[in-house]
Amino acid sequence: MPGPATIGVSAPRKEGRDKVTGRARYIDDISLPDMLYGATVRSRIPRGKIKKISFGPGINWDEFVVVTAKDIPGKNCIALIESDQPCLADGVVNHPEEPILLLAHADRHALPKAVAAVEIEYEPQPPIFTIEESEQQKQIIWGADNVFKKYLIQKGDVDEVWANADFIVEGEYATGAQEQLYIETNGIIATYDAEHGLTVSGSLQCPYYVHKAMVPLFGLPENKVRVVQTETGGAFGGKEEYPSMIAGHAALLAMKSARPVKIIYDRLEDMVATTKRHPSRTRHRTAVRKDGKILGGEIDLVIDGGAYLTLSPVVLSRATIHAGGPYEWPAVRVQAKAVATNAPPHGAFRGFGAPQSLFAIERHMDRIAKVVGISPAEIRRVNFLKQGALTITDQTINENVELGKMLDRALEHADYHTKKTRFARENEHSPIKKGIGFAAFLHGAGFTGSGERYLASVVGVEGTKEGRVRVLVSSTEFGQGTNTILSQIAAETLGLPYEDAEVAQPDTFDVPNSGPTVASRTAMVVGKLVASAARGIERTLISVSLLGETHTAEEFRAACKKYAAEHGAFRSFTKYEPPANIFWDDQKYRGEAYAAYGWAIYVAQVSVDTRSYSVTVDDFVALQEVGRVLNPVLARGQIIGGVAQGIGFALYEKVEWREGRMQNGQMTNYIMPTSADVPEIRVFFEELGNTHGAYGAKGIGELPMDGPAPAIVNAIEDALGMPFDSVPLLPEDIFEAMNSAANRESEARAPAGVR
Amino acid sequence: MTKRGAAKRDISLTVNGEVKTVSAYPMERLLDVLREQLGLTGTKEGCGEGECGACSVFMDGALVDSCLVPVLQAQGSSVVTIEGLAADARARAVQDAFLEYGGAQCGICTPGMILAAVHLLNAKSAPTMDDIREGLAGNLCRCTGYVQILEAVAAAAAKRGAAR
Amino acid sequence: MRSDPAEFNLVAPSDLQSALALMTDEGERWMPIAGGTDLMVQYAAGALRARRLMSIAGLAELRRINVAADEIQIGAGSTYTDLRRHETIAHEFPMLAQAAGWVGGIANQNRGTIGGNIVNASPAGDSLPSLLAYGAELILVSLNGERRVPYTTFHTGYKKIQLASNELIRAVCLPRRFIGYVQHARKVGTRNAQAVSKIALAALAQVDGGIVRDVRIALGSVAPVPMRLAETERILTGNLLDDSVVALAAKTAASEVKPIDDIRSTARYRAAVVGNLVVEFLERLRAEPAATEARNEALARWNALSADAAEGEILACCGSRAWARAMAARRPLADESALVGASDEICAGLRDADWLEAFRAHPRVGEKKAEGSASQQSAAWSAQEQSSAAAAGAESKAALAEGNREYERRFGRIFIVCAAGKTSGEILAILQKRLQNDDRSELREAVEQQRQIMQLRLRKWLRA
Repeated sequence: MPGPATIGVSAPRKEGRDKVTGRARYIDDISLPDMLYGATVRSRIPRGKIKKISFGPGINWDEFVVVTAKDIPGKNCIALIESDQPCLADGVVNHPEEPILLLAHADRHALPKAVAAVEIEYEPQPPIFTIEESEQQKQIIWGADNVFKKYLIQKGDVDEVWANADFIVEGEYATGAQEQLYIETNGIIATYDAEHGLTVSGSLQCPYYVHKAMVPLFGLPENKVRVVQTETGGAFGGKEEYPSMIAGHAALLAMKSARPVKIIYDRLEDMVATTKRHPSRTRHRTAVRKDGKILGGEIDLVIDGGAYLTLSPVVLSRATIHAGGPYEWPAVRVQAKAVATNAPPHGAFRGFGAPQSLFAIERHMDRIAKVVGISPAEIRRVNFLKQGALTITDQTINENVELGKMLDRALEHADYHTKKTRFARENEHSPIKKGIGFAAFLHGAGFTGSGERYLASVVGVEGTKEGRVRVLVSSTEFGQGTNTILSQIAAETLGLPYEDAEVAQPDTFDVPNSGPTVASRTAMVVGKLVASAARGIERTLISVSLLGETHTAEEFRAACKKYAAEHGAFRSFTKYEPPANIFWDDQKYRGEAYAAYGWAIYVAQVSVDTRSYSVTVDDFVALQEVGRVLNPVLARGQIIGGVAQGIGFALYEKVEWREGRMQNGQMTNYIMPTSADVPEIRVFFEELGNTHGAYGAKGIGELPMDGPAPAIVNAIEDALGMPFDSVPLLPEDIFEAMNSAANRESEARAPAGVR
Repeated sequence: MTKRGAAKRDISLTVNGEVKTVSAYPMERLLDVLREQLGLTGTKEGCGEGECGACSVFMDGALVDSCLVPVLQAQGSSVVTIEGLAADARARAVQDAFLEYGGAQCGICTPGMILAAVHLLNAKSAPTMDDIREGLAGNLCRCTGYVQILEAVAAAAAKRGAAR
Repeated sequence: MRSDPAEFNLVAPSDLQSALALMTDEGERWMPIAGGTDLMVQYAAGALRARRLMSIAGLAELRRINVAADEIQIGAGSTYTDLRRHETIAHEFPMLAQAAGWVGGIANQNRGTIGGNIVNASPAGDSLPSLLAYGAELILVSLNGERRVPYTTFHTGYKKIQLASNELIRAVCLPRRFIGYVQHARKVGTRNAQAVSKIALAALAQVDGGIVRDVRIALGSVAPVPMRLAETERILTGNLLDDSVVALAAKTAASEVKPIDDIRSTARYRAAVVGNLVVEFLERLRAEPAATEARNEALARWNALSADAAEGEILACCGSRAWARAMAARRPLADESALVGASDEICAGLRDADWLEAFRAHPRVGEKKAEGSASQQSAAWSAQEQSSAAAAGAESKAALAEGNREYERRFGRIFIVCAAGKTSGEILAILQKRLQNDDRSELREAVEQQRQIMQLRLRKWLRA
């Protein structure tokens, strides 16, 4: 198509001018006439029966709208994969902060006191809080055995590999919960009237997930529920499934009061009550040949799902499939399960299980290298996947990805070998120990296996009276660039300038269901459908001879204007068609797990101050193959932002749990990196294309989350000569390890002055 | 039955160059008065505890977190919000640079970040990267990882320098 | 936001007297609120018990910083930004200036006050260890008058202070006797900025021929109150710093502190880090004799010059020949302390004409060449001192030039200000204010500025 290229160009963020001028309107910037504010009364105990609810003195309760489970017109659950999570607890609670009751009042400031004045008597039951407690089944809190889901991947004959192994290497690795910490907290405005039904607007990733949850909750027909996404200030998965809960609450209050209701969480409530990254424990046992080649292994992976099933099966799925890393496993058995504990349900967070299992395998590879006596780079080279090789699900790698060469390039950019040698020398005489380490990984883009087929996404493009095009998707913008990228794709496809395309506000009354904005699928999968739907508009105009097979931008505009003047704004829709050769067996968990993989090598350089035991990341190289870079500035921004979150995951972000409740639910005490904590992050892109992705793109949103933690911990081991196998890794943990090591050392020889 | 602590008072302050008189409880947060009474929703609440900087405004030229300022303490002062920077050439340079360098992703931290950047450039027209890091260290961003924000501020500073 | 503003009262008395009168009011106490960086956080969390608050943020009487000959009085309402910008604090109390930069981010520093830090009485208060190390005294004021108390005994327990319910802190006084001391401060927080401290150390000492004198080691966040390590100080005082003394001091320090496990850190970690930071400080002290020796050598070389040569060289620090002659006559001077002390004494006896001569050796702010004679070294130092101001735009430069002209028209001499670290905007503001002074006051101001410039240059000269 003739016309200015926009793909591969850093087209300026579509809604950027509004954001830098403060004109962008987020849900709390919006008020409706007669609006009430809503608040949630939540469980104070982790598990038990609700015996009595009373409304304490000092509050004029007549002024308040009160909603309990009894007010729910339809089914009391938040529909997702299963229906085990109630919208409001009814007689029983299974985690701290579980919502029990809702209040609304015209004066926002009247609510906190009222919430505190609701007195609830419980009959506590014994709770469980850890993966181990859940496995031990001292208490059964979910289903028959506390297990939400299990997967098993078996390939080759694992039981035979041990006999031939030169080395058998074992390790156990753990990752903690992580809070998404979007700077805009969760918020929804709901309105209801009998004629129009229910409308919810707010900060969310997946309008149709919310729609799907509201329909059975209210027993309403689908066309009586409308969901609109407003400008969203960060999400990272934290607004994938959770908004259905807050939307249901606002909607119930709106229904009962016949007035619009706004619920905005303050930071404390958002942190303690909403989803977090699933904590994980992974055990590896690996049979290795003396040249470092993996002969086979067993991987035992458990994630903590909290009190209800929500998305745990899907998180587990991704964790399981990524558990082997970017390596060939002639034989492997992966046993994975998601278990229940009495904590608020854990949920989606960028990476979605992959950061957990990739942390384990990348730490484990460094361990194997040490045992075998070869370098971390060599162990990877011997085992890397390549074109023609099979993944642990027996998916053939069809592209010519050369991970060994990517590794070379990444290490070169990081000056790895020179620095490693220099640091080893300098560390002897310095209280600051420097180290350098890397992680190699892959990230499958799009939904797993048959997921995209099941989603059956539909995308529309509309030609307007002004001669421009609007993209109609339920895919949302929350900083990652949806509006920009999809506009670029539409413009490029039609040979139009970028300014002539825009994305319509995601409103379920107006846009089709293009699937949720998750799984790094938007640019790749939805983008491809956008291109297709755009071509549909074009064909419409061509079919009525308003446009030739080739055309200029001017000609398109004129034709579009003319056609729309006669017929009104006109639309073309495309539905996802799965590629013919994608095969996936859901029972055996075998086949083409993902349409495309991004590949990456991340290198971290750290300093450990042995006086304060604090770790600083001094330099970071992020090298990744992403199919095609659609927008360089946006792509780089995604990588850097993901790396910063990965640095937080590795070194700073610890959830302090007590009895299933987060104790550090303020920004003062839940530590995310500031500008003073993030180094220069150097980003390098490589492009192998992708037949399944728009203009050759692969998804990149989550990829950068996988690499930083293992790269950093590998670097810390290089600096200190001691291994660490869990994150977050705090100075206090490093101190304890160094202190124990020092004590052991001084016990073994004559006493010396040791700190 | 709620005990009333104080009546609302008329409190006058200059906001974005215009004198405004609001009727407010003296302990209402300046942040809420700006957003709810004056309709200036560009200033955001991210934490309510003075940690994230999303609520940053200028008060008599100094960068402050408006969630920590009782409106009575703003009486008689001159407050500038993101909306008030529309005519400010330095702010425009920063805003343009944010668009060019990808300094804004989800945008919720952006107004505060821009105020912090302008505040820094008002004090140091040729800041080093360390100066920029320090100047913006009180503004948290979860999306960008900061690098492109720092680059945008450095570019805005350089451009202003070149323009002389 | 978990408090209802309707339930609170906040008043803003217009002056200190009215504020103090309010504090004797009947009924529930009016809780003073300055910058609000602690109280408003409690308020937003629904955890502020006080319902009546009294703003002291606007009280000018509390925000003055007075520099006297032997002490500096810092108004309790001084913000952290005020502290960071103040010349004397930056030069003579660098640990306090550093601590002011530890607080939150710039926005917190613009509002939080040193008085608030003290009264909030958190053991993690960023400025508190340096106040202990400097031997601060507090001036407390009530309607009954003022009293002065040493800061070391001000905290009596966790969040408990010796402040009567009708008292405010008016000022924090620091003695000006730490020139030539080795000063070392470090904060270990949860991250590099916007962090509550897990451990904070402020330490200083004199090292005289390798012997430790007047050592003060103060710690925050490792006990219910900020504390001095009295036992550790005892072990160090009067001793040579060999390996065994350092090890013993570290061990003692780790056991003197009483840290706890809390939401941010653990007791064991805190104790260990205290030991490490004390060692870090002591290693600096060990290196100090070499540094002191270098300075003393520079001084010794100058001591050995002819009178003319000595006078000529030191003229770069102050263009008054009377001063330079008198300094040369004071030789031999043993060390930095003696040098600065001699300069201060001589300054006290200089006549107006001598000061005017010194002023003429400076270029106007914003210019390069002085009207009077000035050595290459003096010109180079002028350029360095004015470097922040030099980064100004054309408009600022023009405004400064005009301001300089106006000043000269009014006072008949060049405008003198210690420009180091100040932007042209700040200098212009100072100039405008001083234009209002009468002749006598203005001369005194200019003399004080000259004295600060001289002190700066004397220290630089010794370290060159």
